[in-house]
Amino acid sequence: MQLSLHHIVPHHLRERLANQPSDVWGKELVLQGGAVFVQAPSGAGKTTLMHILYGLRTDHDGTLQWDALQPSKTDDATLSRLRATDVSIVFQDLRLFPALTAWENIAVKMHLATAATEQDVLQWMQRLGIYHKKDAPAATLSYGEQQRVAIVRALVQPFKWLLLDEPFSHLDSANRQQAIALVADVVRQRNAGMILADLDENNYFPYQQTLRL
Amino acid sequence: MTEAAKNIIAGTLQPNGRRRVVAAAAVLFVGTTLLLLSILAWTDLTHMLGGRQEQQGQSSYVVIGKQVTEQSMGREPASFSAQEIKDIAHAPQVQDVGAIVPARFPVYATIGGRLAMATDLPVAAVPDRFIDSLPDRWNWQPGDRALPVILSSQFLDIYNYVFAPGQRLPQLSRTSVRAVALRLQAGHENPLVLSAYVAGFSDRINSLLVPMSFIEYGNDAFAGGGQNTTSQLILRVNDPSDGAFNTYLQQHGYTTDPQNLRWSRMRTIVQAVASATGVFALLLMGISTLVFMLFAELTVARSQASLVLLRQLGYSAAVLRRAILMRFLPMAATAMALSVVVCCGIQVGIAHIIGESGLHLPMVPGWQYWAAFATSSLLLWLLLARAVRRAIR
Repeated sequence: MQLSLHHIVPHHLRERLANQPSDVWGKELVLQGGAVFVQAPSGAGKTTLMHILYGLRTDHDGTLQWDALQPSKTDDATLSRLRATDVSIVFQDLRLFPALTAWENIAVKMHLATAATEQDVLQWMQRLGIYHKKDAPAATLSYGEQQRVAIVRALVQPFKWLLLDEPFSHLDSANRQQAIALVADVVRQRNAGMILADLDENNYFPYQQTLRL
Repeated sequence: MTEAAKNIIAGTLQPNGRRRVVAAAAVLFVGTTLLLLSILAWTDLTHMLGGRQEQQGQSSYVVIGKQVTEQSMGREPASFSAQEIKDIAHAPQVQDVGAIVPARFPVYATIGGRLAMATDLPVAAVPDRFIDSLPDRWNWQPGDRALPVILSSQFLDIYNYVFAPGQRLPQLSRTSVRAVALRLQAGHENPLVLSAYVAGFSDRINSLLVPMSFIEYGNDAFAGGGQNTTSQLILRVNDPSDGAFNTYLQQHGYTTDPQNLRWSRMRTIVQAVASATGVFALLLMGISTLVFMLFAELTVARSQASLVLLRQLGYSAAVLRRAILMRFLPMAATAMALSVVVCCGIQVGIAHIIGESGLHLPMVPGWQYWAAFATSSLLLWLLLARAVRRAIR
């Protein structure tokens, strides 16, 4: 799937971006696949960009395309289907259901469309050190544990693009390495593209492209 | 969607307090029950009040005439024209019309033996299909010496309970009356003298009935021929207490048994009360539907954050709407099914009690009951679906 950004400028960032150079805002940008790193300081619009790419926000100039399709003009059923099968995301604020257990939060995605078996998912949880928390309500997990649950939830569905918004921000070095390895493995298996947005430069993945907002 | 998926979606929604769920279901139950009970009350009353004759599977017979007023007194006896008879045939409830043709010649009867009496008699004829139970040999032809007659039951009652005690005469049973020999004289000049016998009794017509051929012969021979007049009509009607039928009679100045009119008025009043109860029940049903919808909307509103997240994760609005509706279905279905069962039970009880009084009511509610239930269920479901659709766009 090709992600195309045609001169996108979020409405709320128009004035600030007028005198600020960017590789993304207002530019013609076509992403074919591979690992893309979006680097920007706080407030530059990383989360806004990820939400625009995921089709959540339409309050911007320009157009976004998933192949030939514009999410902002797509009917609800098609957009929902594509979110379940083509584009997956780890939200910066995680967006778990606090009342559901870790396992149920992941199962919410698995019931839509799944590219992993239950066995795979349990193994992934084990790799990330949250297996023992699978029956605990998300509200009782630490932020780092919730972050790992959100990562597994994003990986269980089939996808052509994986969007990661500061996905390892609350993980210690060891857990981060485990998470990075898992994400890399699954992305490679799916032959998918990934876009990671973060504050600072990093070498989590062998990026083919780095964009500064 | 799998059961597990439904459960997980249900788990993401904010749970309603048990009390709130029970209260919403109870309100729906009460509203539906009152609606169904009012329908039952209406149909049962209609059945009992309107079904006096239907219960026996037969129609009623009503005799009507034209009102005799101060203005009409002294003129020719009021009679029905052919057009009036045609119009009456199309009046509400009327199934058949027959003319009561009176004799336009005097008929004088003499009884010998112990009874020993002589009297003028009111004689008339009606088409055979209007006679209660037609005697075997109900015919007369010129030249016949014997004439069968049908006596009004009221005549016999008047004789037995009013006339006989005062005259020190014996009371007569129906069988003994059949054995009494009557000498019947028709006309003044060159009268025709016949031997008459009582062939049967009539509860419908207060005249001495004779075969139509005798009246036609007599009117022709002793009254100078001409057109037979029709001063009274006998009507076969489905429901003599029907309001429209009685209104028709009143508007046209026709007289009939005042009992029908009283019965009709009573039925109108009772039906008005039942209808008012129905309107009240309809209002309550509307309120209970509204309460249930508000409960549903509240549930959706409380779960708005979860629903938004589910949509962000890839659940379509249609899938979520279906899941939410399915969440309310068991509760609504249980409340309404319980109403149906309770009301059916009440109907069985009422039918049993009424049955002990010799009246009949169906054990199973009529189609109006089921139609009301289906309509209210459908309406509730449509309104609920609309509310959920508006909440999850």
